[in-house]
Order: sequence, then structure tokens, then C-alpha cells
Amino acid sequence: MIELNRRTFLKGAGASGATCALASLLPGSLAALESKQLKGMGKEIASICEMCSTRCPISARVIEGKNVFISGNKAAKSFGGKVCARGGAGHSLLYDPQRIVKPLKRVGERGEGKWAEISWDEAYQLIADNLNKIKQAYGPEAVAFSSKSGSQEKHLFHLATAFGSPNTFTHASTCPGGYEIAAKAMFGTKVKRDLSNSKYIINFGHNLYEGINMSETRGMMAAQMDKGAKLVVFEPRFSVVADKADEWYAIRPGTDVAVALALCHVLIEENLYDKAFIERYVEGFDAFAAEVKAYTPEWAETVSDVPAKDIRRIAREYAAKAPHAVVDFGHRATFTTEEFEMRRALYAANILIGNIERKGGIYLGQKPSDYNKLAGEDVSPVLGKPGVKDMPKPAAKRIDQVEEQYAMMWSAGGIYQTILDATLSAVPYQLHGWVMSRTNPMQTMTDRARVVEALKKLDFVAVCDVYISETAAYADVILPESTYLERDEEIADKSGKNPAYYVRQRVVETLGDTRPSWQIFKDIGHKLGLSEFYPWDNMETLQLLQVNRDTDLLRRIKDEGFVSFGKPIMLREPKMVAEFTKAYANAKPVDEDGTYGSLLSFKTPSGKIELTSAKVEAMAPGRGVIKFREVQLKKPNELYFIQGKVAVHTNGATHNVPMLANLMSDNAVWVHPDTASKLGISNGDPIRLTSSVGTEEGHALVTPGIRPDTVFAYMGFGSKNKELVRATGKGIHCGNLLPHVTAPVCGMTVHTTGVTLAKR
Amino acid sequence: MTKRYVMVHDENKCIGCQACNVACRSENGVPEGVTRLQVRVEGPYGEMPHLHFKYHRVSCQQCEDAPCVKVCPTGAAYVGEDGIVSIHGDKCVGCMYCVAACPYKVRFMNPETKVADKCNFCKDTRLARGEQPACVTVCPTDALVFGDANDPQSDVAKLLNTKITYQDKTHLGTHPRVYRVPTKRGGI
Repeated sequence: MIELNRRTFLKGAGASGATCALASLLPGSLAALESKQLKGMGKEIASICEMCSTRCPISARVIEGKNVFISGNKAAKSFGGKVCARGGAGHSLLYDPQRIVKPLKRVGERGEGKWAEISWDEAYQLIADNLNKIKQAYGPEAVAFSSKSGSQEKHLFHLATAFGSPNTFTHASTCPGGYEIAAKAMFGTKVKRDLSNSKYIINFGHNLYEGINMSETRGMMAAQMDKGAKLVVFEPRFSVVADKADEWYAIRPGTDVAVALALCHVLIEENLYDKAFIERYVEGFDAFAAEVKAYTPEWAETVSDVPAKDIRRIAREYAAKAPHAVVDFGHRATFTTEEFEMRRALYAANILIGNIERKGGIYLGQKPSDYNKLAGEDVSPVLGKPGVKDMPKPAAKRIDQVEEQYAMMWSAGGIYQTILDATLSAVPYQLHGWVMSRTNPMQTMTDRARVVEALKKLDFVAVCDVYISETAAYADVILPESTYLERDEEIADKSGKNPAYYVRQRVVETLGDTRPSWQIFKDIGHKLGLSEFYPWDNMETLQLLQVNRDTDLLRRIKDEGFVSFGKPIMLREPKMVAEFTKAYANAKPVDEDGTYGSLLSFKTPSGKIELTSAKVEAMAPGRGVIKFREVQLKKPNELYFIQGKVAVHTNGATHNVPMLANLMSDNAVWVHPDTASKLGISNGDPIRLTSSVGTEEGHALVTPGIRPDTVFAYMGFGSKNKELVRATGKGIHCGNLLPHVTAPVCGMTVHTTGVTLAKR
Repeated sequence: MTKRYVMVHDENKCIGCQACNVACRSENGVPEGVTRLQVRVEGPYGEMPHLHFKYHRVSCQQCEDAPCVKVCPTGAAYVGEDGIVSIHGDKCVGCMYCVAACPYKVRFMNPETKVADKCNFCKDTRLARGEQPACVTVCPTDALVFGDANDPQSDVAKLLNTKITYQDKTHLGTHPRVYRVPTKRGGI
């Protein structure tokens, strides 16, 4: 009898062993390092994720020096100790052989892909020489600085200000800026939504089940599945949130504003709105009501294809659940050029039912210092601000300070895409340099060809990133930032209904020759001769200044990773106010109705919620009152082209992360069966999309989950630089099809355009 | 009393986000190209506007009468005292009988260890440390519940008593221990 054991069987079967194909080595990449053994900083480290910009609290465990298991941090209750696919794959980024771990200098033409490794000192010197040269010739304002939001932004913008340039930009105008500016105009500040306590949620294409924001995603699911909330979704595509909805309407792209205004029309005409709330807290109701009179559901149906009878019924159902109901104001605010009116109309539908500072509605959130004042005692520590006092103000105007209507954006991240106008057309003046940190405008800014043109025209481009991104591919110098698993950062405020803090910490010792961005931009500051603006040595001194040298507090925040203080409070929610005053003996006195309603005020010119705004009217004549304007987002013979997020990728950043690239590396174009059959397209067929600015080739996904007049693709795919080996040439590059358009007042780019579709 | 570990996948709460897939891969060192666990988002089925997706968990069903155990010539595939269908790596000869026999197509040859592989509810890793399986730990929307169905106080027993559930391919008599809460829209 032949004894069958593992060894002999394998031998016989001739199973192949290590036949791993050797990828060609990228210069400066992790692949060139010999040892990739991970050295953990502890058993289980609490930190903050960076696989997208939600920045969820995480807990990371290093396994046998070769792997990191990442889950959520359970100390953060609303996040439930959970993590999404991107967050869980953070370690795949950490030891991706294609990650850049040495500073690189361009040695060929821009974008040609020829690189040489250099030392950090050479990289800093090269940047300092070039920036100072530009400063001397054209002034410091000729250099633009743009960054991912968060710690990187603070440090890069500090450098920009010290250098003397006013031109600092976040990604706001390519994603959330629209709803932030609309909130600023109406409430004087950003607002939050209390989805988890809502009994009726109306959602205009805010796909929280694919664009995951952990606490909100969990909150909405719990509201729906455990507490019986109803969810109504208006979205042109059958997304996962549409699937989970009780009702889904395939609304015509970019017409959300019409349905939102019709909802307001029904609320007012049928007397379903909260008159006492309007009387007490709202400015400009009459002008709004007069305007909305014309926006009947029947009219909205002709614009949006949403049946009038349903709009009417939904408005009534929504009002019946007031004030514990909410119209979600969305996240990516790039649907239409009328974005400002759309987001204001969504807020208006909330204001009308008086859900502000009520459970399941909208709230302003509690800052630690305000919370302590309310409680009459120091419930929460208040962080010190370790900045530099009396920073010099840049003398020049920002490049986006061209039209007064955009005034609110100048201090809210700026209009990112004006970098292209200033570089290519010298409007309002010529830019010569661009320094970027973890931002990828090639993917996210629209009109890729113009971004390339601008990058080629500039005198000097420096990019800080973890990969040679599509944008970094056009840089003169690439600075490799340590991944978030290798970085310490400042304590961050995560307050919601009560104060909370959390902190990003190193999980493993740094692999290769990378540095955290706070250090990189500080080092460059010194090289530029700006040492006077850097009175701190390192992150630890910064953190100590934040906690006002309370080392016990710092230790606690680091050990627990997420620390919250006090009881949650919403000012107009009687039960919460009762619990609050029970807990804090010296709390401010309560109003007769058992709330803190009298303390609710708004940082607007009138101190009230401005449903109609004199300030906006002055900035942008004709826009004081929320109004519908017809827009043409496509030509009659074209299809709408829209995009969205997928749960396994973050727009411009994760497509080369091995684990995520393995899950999804391509974005098929969703085409309705009727449209497909007219064009002779079958599922999987190669197709071509052509817009006013570009052509993209991909494959068709023929599905009933999309309107016949619309095509859809997940964004972030189809990179065109050879360095992103796993992502390049796979799928449709959305930014290459979107024309350069800027929406009024909020300065948003627009992600809806017209395309023609053909089989190839 | 003996334990009877089961997994319940609520298809209403599942959003197909693949957090489970990634966590499983990270915890168990599952190499590229093969998978112990994924959720297939299938569809949409139906006619506009009455469409629905199906969120289908594809992983070892932990059959009580497991074909893979029956066909294994070396005793590598076995049922543990905890009822979990598992693999003795050192006994596996890589014959792939189990891969062929599995009616759910969830067994595979691990290209690194050369051992037939599959989900074992994280028996060697997380369960051994007294933790929940990786997929359950990270699931953003709490769509997964795992535990001992023989313990009437367990969450999983309560869930099985209160929700309608179904199992895949029950006609084969495999008695799978992965239960599914069907989506409220569309059929099973």
C-alpha cells in the first residue's frame, strides 16, 4: 500500500512553488527595501483611520511582526468598534511594495515618469530654492498650496502663510463645499444630522451605504432596521441606499432642487409647518413662502419625473413625524450648477418642520468651551491652541477673490479649480508654483486635460504623497509621507452632542525613509528661512501644548484613543435638557417649556436662521431668496453622465492599494437595457463615452438600475500614469469627461454632464 | 451541553461593503486570488422602480453533515468538538476531493500553504482568544450575528427564534449552519 502523505502527494502532483512574477521595481518604492518586518509600538494601539476623510477611530493590532489587524475603536460608541473594507485594508497600503519610501526628483520631462532617488536634505533644498526664486521674481502669492483636510492641511497652510501666500485650498469645492456654504448662509455655521434618532428620512442621493461614514451609516441603518424609520430616496441610479429605501424614485439628474422646493410648497400650502418655530427663529419666511407658491408638485413632476402625488404624500408623511424627521442635506455637493439653491432648499425643508436641535433632526453640535459654560462647570477639558500668535497676513488677494459672490468660500477651503485659471490664463494673476499634500486633482478636479496643461506650465511643482499618484506623476519633487499607521498627529476635536477628543498614533515603526507631513512642512519652513514661525520641536511638544501640559489627560487620550465628556445635549429636546440639568447642578437655568430654546442663536447677520438672506443678496444679486433656475446639464441628444462612490475605494487615493485593487480595479459603465439595445450594446461590450472635453473607453454594465437617459460610473478609476501599476488604464476616468464649470456662490465643480455613448 | 456555533447573515442590514471580506483576509492571512468569505451583490432583479439587490454571503456553510469531511481521504477535514468543520493542515495532501465535493463551492487550495482552505469561523485565531470572528467584529451595519445556538440566552438563538431565516441548498441534507435573514423585498 502506498502511504499517502502530504509530501509525496505534492511531489507527485508537481504543484508549483514560488513562481511569483517579479514586478519591475519602481525607484524609491518599498519593494527596494530588504526587510519589511513590522515593529509594533504596542499590543493594541488606538488611532485614527486615513483610508478616506471620515477619519474613523480605529484600533490596530500588529500580528507576528508581519500583519496588522485593524478594527474600529469601541470607545467611540456611535462608531460601534466597526471599520469598513478600506479601513480594514490599511495595512495593505503600509507594506505595498509600490508605495514610495524615498524622496524622488524628476529627471525626465514632466509626466514622463523618469525619477531619481534623492536625500531629504536635497529635496528640501530643491523646494526652498525654487519657492524662494518664485517669491523674489513674482511675490509669494505666485505659489499655491493645496492639501487633503486634517493635520496635513494645518501644517501645509501654516507654511503657506509663513511664506506669504494667501492661496491655500482644500478639496471642498470638489466635494462637500456646497452644503457647507449653504449652511453658512442659513445657520451661520456647519450643521449635523441626527440620522440614528430619525423616524422619517428623505435622502437626495446621499449614498451612505456605499460612501460609508461609519457613525452615520450605522445610525441610519439602526434607525431603519431597529427603530422602524422610513427612508425615501431620490437618486437617478439604483444604489445600495436606494435598495435599502422604503421608496426609491429615479429622479432626473440635477433636478433635486425642484422636488425639495415642492416639498416646501406642500408644507406651507397645507399648513404643515411649525409656525411657532418660524416666528421665533427664522428670518425671511414670507419672501420664501411667496417664491415657493409657484413650485407645485405638479410643476416639479415635469422637471424631475417624480410623480406629483408622491411628492405631496411624502411631504405629509414627513410632516406627521415632525420634528423627529429629517431631509438629509447630502455630502458630495456637485450635482448641478444650482448646487447652492439645492442645498438651501434641502435645509429649508428641515427648518419648516422645526427639527433644529431636536432628536432625529438637525443640530449645531457642542464645542467644549460652550458646553462647559452651559453646564456651569468644567465637564470637558478645553484644548490649547499651540499656533503662532500674530502670524503675518499675506498681502496679496487670493486667486479666487475675483467675484464677490464667492466670498463665503474664501475662508472655507477656497475654489480649488481657480488654480487652473490662474496658471493658464493669469486670472486674476499668474501662478508659478504649486505645492500639494495628499491631494489628487487629476482625478478630482474635472477636466483632466486642463490639469495636465497647468501642471506642465508651472515653474515648479512639489507633491507630498504615499504613492506616485496621477498628480504626483507630474511633480518635480515627490516627498514620501509616512502612512497614517506610522504617524503621530495632534489631538483632534470630535465633539458632537457632547465634547470628545481623539488622536492619531503610530501603530508601527516607520518603514523606509518617509516622514510625517507635520515634520516635512516644518523642515521646509526652516529651509525657507522661516524658523521664527516654528517655535515647537515635534509632535509631542505640540500635543503637550494642546492639553495645557496635563500629561494625565494626554496619556488617557492616547490609551483610550477616543475620549468623550459629559452627557449629550440638544438644546430644544426637553428630555435631554432634563438629564443635563440633573447631572450638572450649576447648569444654566431652563426655559419655562423645559428646554434651552432661548439659548439657541445663530451666527448670521440677523442672529436668526436666514431662510432668505440679505447678505447673499448683496453678494450675489437675485440669490437672496431660494429660487429655481433652469439649467442645461446636457444637450438633448446626449445622455446624463453621473458618478458615485463605491464602498471599497476612496475617490482619488486607494485604487492602487493591493487589497482594494484586488476587490475592484475597474468601473463598468451602467447603461439601461433600453438605451443599450438601441445602440446595439450588450452586457460587457467595449464602449466609448465622449463629452465636450474628453473621450474614455471602458465596458458596459447593462442594468435596469439606471435611468434610460443616464449613464453612471464609480469615480476614481482609469488612472493614466504608469506608476500606479494596479490602477492604470483600468476603467473610465471620470475627471477626463467632466468640463470645467464653477457653480454660483458656492464655487463647486459640477459632476453631471452630457455624453454620447457608442459601442467600440 | 455541546456547542452549536452558527452564523446569521441579515440580508436587510448587509450593504455589500466587503468589510467582512477584508477583515477575514487580514486576520487569517488569506492570500490574493482566493477567498474564504465574500458577499456577492447580485442583481438588481425586478422591473423599475421595483428593483432589489441580493446580498449573498459566500463562505463555508459549516454543514452539520459535511460532504468535504466525508470525502477527505486522510482525515484532514474534520468536525471538532465545538462542531466547527475544520482542517488539519499537516494531514492535507492537496487532493482537492473536498474542493470538488463542496456543494457551495467555498473550498479552495491555498496557494501559499498548499492546504485546502475555507472559513472556520476564525477558530484558530479569534475564537481561540475569546473573540468574535473577524467578519462579525467589523461589520459596519451589524448584519452578522455569531454564537452558540444551543445557548438559549445567546443573541444568535434569540435571533433565530424571532426572525424568518433560510439556509442554502437544504435539499442536499447538509444542514448548513449559516442562516440568512431574507431581504424584505423580492424572493429568496
